[in-house]
Amino acid sequence: MKRREFLAMAGIGTLASVTLSSCSLISGDSPKAASTSGAFPTTWKKEITVDVFDDLANYQGIQSGWFAKIVKDKFNMKLNMIAPNVAGGGETLFNTRSAAGDLGDLVVLGSSQHLDEALKGGLLLDASTYYKNMTSVAGYKQAVTKTNPGDKGTFAFPTSVSKLKPTQSSESTEPTFGPYLRWDLYADAGYPKIGTLEDLVPVLEDMQKSNPKAPNGKPVYALSLFKDWDGNMMNNAKQPACYYGYDEMGFVLAAADGSAYESIIDSDSHYVRSLKFFSAASKKGLVDPDSPTQNYSTMYAKYQAGEVLFAFWPWLAQPAYNTTENMSAGKGFEIAPLKDMKIFSYGAEVYGNSNYAIGIGVKASDPERVAAFIDWLYSTDGVYANGSQTGSAAGPKGLTWDLNSAKKPALNAFGQNAFLGGGTKQVPAKWGSGKYADGVSALNVTTVTAVDKDPSTGYSFAYQMWPSYQKLIINPLTKDWSKHMDGASTTMEYLRDNKKIIVAPGSGYVAPADSSEIQTLRNQIKAVIVADSWKMAMATSTKQFDSLLKDMQDTVKGLGYAKVLKVDMEHAKEQNKTRLEVAKKFG
Amino acid sequence: MTTQAVLQEAVTDEVVESKSHRRAKRPRAGKKSVGMFLCILPFLALVFVFSYLPLYGWIFSLYDYQPALGLSGSDFVGFQWFEMLVRSPTQLAQITQVLVNTLAMSFLGILTSFLPIVFAVFLNEVKAPWFRNVVQTLTTLPNFISWVLVYMIAFSLFSSSGLVNSVLTDSGIITTPIKFLDSGDHVWLTMLLWSLWKGVGWGAIIYLAAITGIDPALYESAKIDGAGRFQLMRHITIPQLMPTYVVLLMLSVANLLNNGMDQYYVFQNAFNMKHIQVLDLYVYNVGMTGNNLSLATAIGMLKSLISVILLVVVNLIAKRARGTSII
Repeated sequence: MKRREFLAMAGIGTLASVTLSSCSLISGDSPKAASTSGAFPTTWKKEITVDVFDDLANYQGIQSGWFAKIVKDKFNMKLNMIAPNVAGGGETLFNTRSAAGDLGDLVVLGSSQHLDEALKGGLLLDASTYYKNMTSVAGYKQAVTKTNPGDKGTFAFPTSVSKLKPTQSSESTEPTFGPYLRWDLYADAGYPKIGTLEDLVPVLEDMQKSNPKAPNGKPVYALSLFKDWDGNMMNNAKQPACYYGYDEMGFVLAAADGSAYESIIDSDSHYVRSLKFFSAASKKGLVDPDSPTQNYSTMYAKYQAGEVLFAFWPWLAQPAYNTTENMSAGKGFEIAPLKDMKIFSYGAEVYGNSNYAIGIGVKASDPERVAAFIDWLYSTDGVYANGSQTGSAAGPKGLTWDLNSAKKPALNAFGQNAFLGGGTKQVPAKWGSGKYADGVSALNVTTVTAVDKDPSTGYSFAYQMWPSYQKLIINPLTKDWSKHMDGASTTMEYLRDNKKIIVAPGSGYVAPADSSEIQTLRNQIKAVIVADSWKMAMATSTKQFDSLLKDMQDTVKGLGYAKVLKVDMEHAKEQNKTRLEVAKKFG
Repeated sequence: MTTQAVLQEAVTDEVVESKSHRRAKRPRAGKKSVGMFLCILPFLALVFVFSYLPLYGWIFSLYDYQPALGLSGSDFVGFQWFEMLVRSPTQLAQITQVLVNTLAMSFLGILTSFLPIVFAVFLNEVKAPWFRNVVQTLTTLPNFISWVLVYMIAFSLFSSSGLVNSVLTDSGIITTPIKFLDSGDHVWLTMLLWSLWKGVGWGAIIYLAAITGIDPALYESAKIDGAGRFQLMRHITIPQLMPTYVVLLMLSVANLLNNGMDQYYVFQNAFNMKHIQVLDLYVYNVGMTGNNLSLATAIGMLKSLISVILLVVVNLIAKRARGTSII
């Protein structure tokens, strides 16, 4: 279920391999005339149900709860979610629906490859006539123009757009990546200084030894890995590379500032270094033996039960374990900085996240209404409501938050219960029914990033960045952490003050789609890399590790690794070029 | 009219009549064969629709097929995918490994195909009917459990936090869990054991039926001749089951490459991938997981090619051994 968060936050990196040239529009239906000229109608007579084909959704079926109520009241419309993530079978659902020529009324595409195919196949409607009325989207004109190059029409709308500078982090209070560990146990170990990645092993070993059993009686492991997000490489092994300012582009790890490019299979790459780190931890018995077979939700449950001590991401460990109860007892996950780390941070995207896009299906029954709905998603109200799932936006005003006596935004009692108290309260009847979490938008796509500021309040859409919230969550855990972090109030503040973060400017770069030959080679090679990486991570002797590494290097080279690497290398360098250009232009 | 004319008319009439008689006869025979033809027509249609029509799909292997564009919009690439399969030694080694896995697991299956016979023969010797029925029901049941559920059972028993490992760790026999599922050792063997567990009871049914068909007189006369229980089994039951066995064996040889994929699909992971990938699973992994339907088609065609080769070989052997060919 947390795939959405991952997709939302780390998507640029992990999906970068399957990218496209969004410039090749071969065909597309001629626009149907809008029924009205001027603004969208404010009321809609006939109730309709729209099919939403959504690559990012993790829920299939009719949207329910408070979000459904808002959409019904505003657009007299129900959302029928069609989610490949839920349906399973990989690309099958996209392939069959696109072969049939109708993806759905509203289409959310999860990779630039899909966007490319949908454009070429004429599956998206040219929304030019409606675009004129889309006043909210118009605020992000340069991103829309970038997503629809040339003057062929407006087929797709960008996601994760921002009005922040591209050199500014898109993360709010916590970075996307970071070495997070159980702060309470780290404190028990005497706050040992951690020099570099490898020094984590003895620290984690101490922590695991002092706390061998979770409250539920199950054994505790420092590391628990999972395979769900393996792509070009073993996903977990890429994460430590991000602590050193690298992110992936196919088989290349590229430094955020363009200073270095690594081939992941090289013996001295950050990727292999992570595998060695895992192997060293395996040797000490610190890696959960379930790792190769478990999935995300199994692992997530282990975090919730306190069976794991280390996390690659704050957005995994903190929602799982940092409950009000645990934090008031001083327990929870916080970052424990490595002395030499320089965490990779995604810069705000002036052009939007080019890997995801929203469009109107070419056979949409009521394209005007769908266009109005899309426009609303980019409006202030829409961002608060729709972004509550992915980007930690605060939810609709009046339901979860209000302006306090000082006219500043603050969570109300219901909002505090929803975000901090386990979400046990029922949504007030006025807002529909069910619990808050059951009613969040299933679209799972970020239109405007939550760190952007709401012009009417002057604060960001993300409640975590409100001063009122910061005050609200002071607890023994954060107090202790702050004490040891020179009084920093948030992780991002600490990282910025100590220059332990490096921002890759949000360039909106889109690598051109792989040719089918490269794609096939890549698929074969990545299968080998992922399988062997897992063996290496679980290897308990150096000899075994080295022979596996050699075996992997030889096999992928035999399969044509060099050919794919060359392509990725070009893309990585091209990406850096656009980053520099964007930084210069928007600075 | 002269007599001659009348005669002539009569003759022609007769000729006409006999001609028309012959004509009438022919259509009657035709009707019969049309009827017969209509009887087999549904089957011919089935064979055509399900065996010949799909061959049209082979055309996908010559294109770079993208579903959104349709076949007409996709690029024609000729034999690119076939070349790709044999381009480098590593590539070739991968395909060979897949074929070895497929054949090895099929042959292991054939080698153990005598087990259902043994089971049936022994079960038949159980004299208490209630016990025999209970055993038969319990051993047949696994056949109706889908492989997904079998894997769930396997997972809850043999995963690192499963029943077996928990019992062993709690009783102090081992300290670190044994990796039953995520290990690349003895994959063929464990897969064989799982399919035996699932299939032996079911496989025995046909033999149990065949046993009831054996002439009781044979047993009686053997008993009179002083044969013991095991001698009855060895000299009467088993030889009587042999024809059934040979037929089933032939069928399983014909299905050599079709060892299914669901079993291997659910059991596959990074550690056993190398030895578990059979041809069908490989095609699935390339086509569905790797999203390259064209290459998957090309590999799938390989299967047909090998099947034809196997058929010819088996035919040759049969010719040598029995003097007649099977096709």
